[in-house]
Amino acid sequence: MKIFFRLLLLAVLGAAGFWLWTVLFPSPEKVVLKKISKLAAVATFVQADSNLTRAGKASSVVSFFAPDAQIVVTVDGIGSRTFAGREEIRETALAGFAGLQSLNVKFLDAKAKILPGNVTATVNCTCEIKLGGQRDMGVQEIAVHLKKLDGDWLITSIEPVKTLQ
Amino acid sequence: MQDANEQKPHWLQVLAVGRRPSVTLLRILILVIVCLVMFKLILLPIRVEGISMEPTYHNHAVNFINRLAYWRHEPQRGDIISVRLAGESVMLMKRIIALPGETLEFHGGKTFINGRPLDEPYLKTKCNWEHEPIQCGPDQFYVVGDNRSMPFELHTQGRAVRERIIGKLLL
Repeated sequence: MKIFFRLLLLAVLGAAGFWLWTVLFPSPEKVVLKKISKLAAVATFVQADSNLTRAGKASSVVSFFAPDAQIVVTVDGIGSRTFAGREEIRETALAGFAGLQSLNVKFLDAKAKILPGNVTATVNCTCEIKLGGQRDMGVQEIAVHLKKLDGDWLITSIEPVKTLQ
Repeated sequence: MQDANEQKPHWLQVLAVGRRPSVTLLRILILVIVCLVMFKLILLPIRVEGISMEPTYHNHAVNFINRLAYWRHEPQRGDIISVRLAGESVMLMKRIIALPGETLEFHGGKTFINGRPLDEPYLKTKCNWEHEPIQCGPDQFYVVGDNRSMPFELHTQGRAVRERIIGKLLL
């Protein structure tokens, strides 16, 4: 019985050690996914948020992107538009955050893939956007490309993925 | 014969955990496992969002996706299916109108498959779509909604690869 409890304790300690290891030294996939979920949290704001808070959030959004980042937005029946560079993304974010009542962004089913070399990654996910005052949500499958710059993962491009061809 | 010293459990205890708590616990465990298997692996509960399948399915209606529907055979024309996006949190609900290898076109709001008109009794709205032939690949199914009252460009439709088709709508 004593041996059983000792083995059980050893197993529990081993599991706790493994868990601690993954917390202290997360895999690049985990780091990238955490970055994406942070972006969703920063891009989300409610009606009660002041203009100052919104401006702060818009500036924070930009910090997730590389200097030469690109965002391609496609709207069915209208066409697509590309926002290139941090400055254009900042201006668009500021205008959007000031003009909208509220915004809820979620990145669902995110799967990260670290590419050979461990300095570039791609996250495939479903982006769900709910605008204030509208009951229905907009959904789009997207591919987010990231690059490790100065030890930090930054988004180099976001582009839509065609679910139906 | 019942032991005279055996105490009857309090009615509140009977109500909460039954006469035999261990049996109740086992029943709960079995029920949880059955529910998990049923609603995660076999029947996926969904809520319809949007009007693209009107009048067959209404906005905010609740339904289930039968994930085993295509276990033994491939999807058929007329089936209402779910197509996954990046995962299964959000899916497209559409009807299959063209099968792999077929050519589809729209003329005057009518659907033509390999040049022949397709009978679509489920269509209740007026449609004036015009589109040149679209060829489905060997692994592609053409899917579209039943509400074709909006312009062709504004209706989410297209060729779905087999791997993205999760299952068939149950109800």
